[in-house]
Amino acid sequence: MLVEILFYIFATLLVAGALGVITARNPVYSVLFLVFCFVNSAAIWLLVEAEFLAIVLVLVYVGAVMVLFLFVVMMLDINLAEIRQGFTRFAWLGWITALAVIAEITGVIWRNGLGGVDVGRGFVSEPANYSNTLELGRVLYTHYAYPFELAAVLLVVAIVAAIALTLRRRPGLKVQDISRQVAVRAEDRLRVVKVSAEKRS
Amino acid sequence: MLNNYLPILIFLAIATAVALVLLTLGSTIGRFFAREPADRDKLSAYECGFEAFEDSRMKFDVRYYLVAILFIVFDLEIVFLFPWAVALGDIGVAGLIAMVVFLGILTVGFIYEWKKGALEWD
Repeated sequence: MLVEILFYIFATLLVAGALGVITARNPVYSVLFLVFCFVNSAAIWLLVEAEFLAIVLVLVYVGAVMVLFLFVVMMLDINLAEIRQGFTRFAWLGWITALAVIAEITGVIWRNGLGGVDVGRGFVSEPANYSNTLELGRVLYTHYAYPFELAAVLLVVAIVAAIALTLRRRPGLKVQDISRQVAVRAEDRLRVVKVSAEKRS
Repeated sequence: MLNNYLPILIFLAIATAVALVLLTLGSTIGRFFAREPADRDKLSAYECGFEAFEDSRMKFDVRYYLVAILFIVFDLEIVFLFPWAVALGDIGVAGLIAMVVFLGILTVGFIYEWKKGALEWD
């Protein structure tokens, strides 16, 4: 009973936060609302006893991805009036994307159902020593080994893409090369020249 | 299993309650005892005695972004390592090989970024 009440509390907060993301005028507030959403969905995952996924959601998304979002939002050097100008012009693109995503989600549920989850069964608690991390590890590296390796390929693609997009070498930059500085010897820098003395005239 | 998380729930409830109480206390006390009208300079942005010179939002180097995204990639690698370490006793050699392949693929990416000089800051 308590679990159901908590679910409705967190779900309400999640939906409210999601509304905040798309209605907040300041993009930085949008990002903070998104952080709030992630924390609430972590709580909901915890309620279905997916504790590892819940903590990963907080650590990776709130801890790292949202920091990245803040970087982007701040790097944009935002002029709010300029952004609002484009809003109606590109609104059709947003509508098409949203409708496509909705169509895809309904299509998957239409074809596959909810993946064998019996919604009417209600909540059944696992025993206190149940380890969600262990259950995940048992199937992820054996039964789902192929998607697991694909995740590695995806991460490598992310590395390559990030480097290709953002790495710029600036030529002619004056930098210290410590090892070459240390390895230098006196005869590389200093030349002692014997000069024959001139006769006094 | 959720009983284990009951202390966190209580903590969350107390934290929310404390925050609400402080907010309402602050605003009500402020409403009754504040001096009217508030000074205009009191509300202005303060920067070492001057008005703020410029917008606080500015362009900064995209290389910070590169460092952050490379961090996330290897952060996720650690996340994948964690359940593997917990379950290694059950999944045996097959799990070990799967993880070696996974780490091998990511090492290719790591060597690429090292050789490319993405970890240098000059």
